[in-house]
Amino acid sequence: MLADLWAAYQSSVGFAMVNVFFALSTYAVLSAGVLSFASVSYAAFGGFIGAQLVLNTGISPLLALPVSAVAGALLAYAVALLFLRLDGHWMALASLALVLMTRVVVLNAPTLTGGVNGLSLPVDLSLATLTVLLLLLMLVFHRLSGSWYGIAVRAVREDPAVAASLGMPARRLQTIAFVISGAVGGAGGMLLAAMLQFISPDTYFINIAFTMIAAVVLGGSYHWAGAVAGAFVFTALPVVMQAVLPQIQDVANGAALLAIMVFLPRGLIDPRAWRLRHAR
Amino acid sequence: MRGDGDTPALLELDGVGKSFGGVAAVADLSFAVPTGSVMGLMGPNGAGKTTVINLITGLLGFDRGHIRFDGAEIGGAAAHRIAARGIARTYQNVRLFSGMTALEQVLAGGFLRRGTSLIASFLGTPASRAARARSLAEARHLLDRVRLAHRADVLAETLSYGEQRRIEIARALGAHPRLLLLDEPTAGMNAAESAAIGGLVHELRDAGLTVLMVEHNVRLVTDFCDHVAVMSFGRKLTEGTPAACLAHPEVQAAYFGRSGDAERIRALR
Ligand SMILES: Nc1ncnc2c1ncn2[C@@H]1O[C@H](COP(=O)(O)OP(=O)(O)O)[C@@H](O)[C@H]1O
Ligand SMILES: [Mg+2]
Repeated sequence: MLADLWAAYQSSVGFAMVNVFFALSTYAVLSAGVLSFASVSYAAFGGFIGAQLVLNTGISPLLALPVSAVAGALLAYAVALLFLRLDGHWMALASLALVLMTRVVVLNAPTLTGGVNGLSLPVDLSLATLTVLLLLLMLVFHRLSGSWYGIAVRAVREDPAVAASLGMPARRLQTIAFVISGAVGGAGGMLLAAMLQFISPDTYFINIAFTMIAAVVLGGSYHWAGAVAGAFVFTALPVVMQAVLPQIQDVANGAALLAIMVFLPRGLIDPRAWRLRHAR
Repeated sequence: MRGDGDTPALLELDGVGKSFGGVAAVADLSFAVPTGSVMGLMGPNGAGKTTVINLITGLLGFDRGHIRFDGAEIGGAAAHRIAARGIARTYQNVRLFSGMTALEQVLAGGFLRRGTSLIASFLGTPASRAARARSLAEARHLLDRVRLAHRADVLAETLSYGEQRRIEIARALGAHPRLLLLDEPTAGMNAAESAAIGGLVHELRDAGLTVLMVEHNVRLVTDFCDHVAVMSFGRKLTEGTPAACLAHPEVQAAYFGRSGDAERIRALR
């Protein structure tokens, strides 16, 4: 019985884990005060480059993963140089435009991407491997948030002017955040490719942007664990609703998301609320 | 005494001006803060005192004039570069970081003295862990200095106004600045709290820090400032010893006007 359940849902667990990569990619820049959708583009870049590497050299997807991460990081660095000069809302819009452009580029670069036909990638990615990778990723974010970088980006996010007058170079810190976001997004793109075993221009599109923003909003954007929790909840909710309330699953799904947003506006994981309670 | 003309100036403003939409908030302002002194900046609300501090720290775009810190021009430089030269500040309206504990605020203030690279601190090298321990010890020491050691792990925004102001001072000291700018550090504090701030300012000066503070509390200015400049409508009205400035007829008229402070000053003498 439990085994059946696991068989039915393990692909959802796998997708939830990959979504954690996308959510953390978004969290990486959001934690430095920048809303950006560009993680989708890093994922596409990392995904197609990693897939080509695997297809052309026959190396394992795990070995292609660092290359995807570097590719994503490089793209993110370029995005940071170009877009960080823009003010908040414009930055978000520009990153959205980048996502739209990415699809056009992917469609029109068939040698790299396979164009409309996409690429099939006959590889196997076990859930165990994915779990180990996810734990590693969480360790990275845990260590970052505990370092001076963690405090500095929080300061920049809360009040950039005050942060600057404490000697914090906001632009440089945000550029680092972009590079981290790019590496995580690029790796996530490769993992998604390996999970799906097929990628096309539609793989890396608005649906991912929606997933990652929803995950961070739901889970909370003030702690990396929020992105992790949010990605799991957001991925699991439709599956659970389909099992529990199949007649009204869409409505129930929407209602549950709304309820979280209304009653927990800072997300499921909110260190500030915890500390406020702790203070009493 | 300190603040004499022959002491070299740590900070010099020379013909500084700043307008907002054609209205001059600061006009042709010149004064110098001698190294190792406590200088008071007085003047009625809207005189331009906060604007001066914002210009010195690079928080506002710079219009006209020169600001020299330790001989180097800093007018119009980026805020984080000015901070790195050794200028720290507090704010008239407390600006602590939301969601951070008292200790974290002060740790953030120690950013310039973190003493380790991102990679090293990410990897947790022994040197970076030692640097981290030093930063923590220093932050705790600074909290202790403003008598808030027992509040270290409390969310700063839940503390009283006076406590928040003291955290801001501790945060500003985190970078070991050479010049500390205090914008109305005792606003909203009672007499005992104010006197404690004055005492702290004196301790800091004795440890070699130069202080420029905007302050309305006449008693504090008289007791703790070596030198005072008075502003009115963006210009410098007068400058000199606290007693001389407070006695200045235009100061009495422009600053104290009908407020009744004039009687309080007379009562003080
Ligand atoms: N950022 C700003 N934008 C527009 N006007 C400002 C700004 N900051 C200050 N002012 C104006 O400049 C003048 C001086 O203000 P301020 O420096 O805050 O005075 P003080 O600190 O002496 O009370 C006031 O008229 C104020 O309204
Ligand atoms: Mg003011």
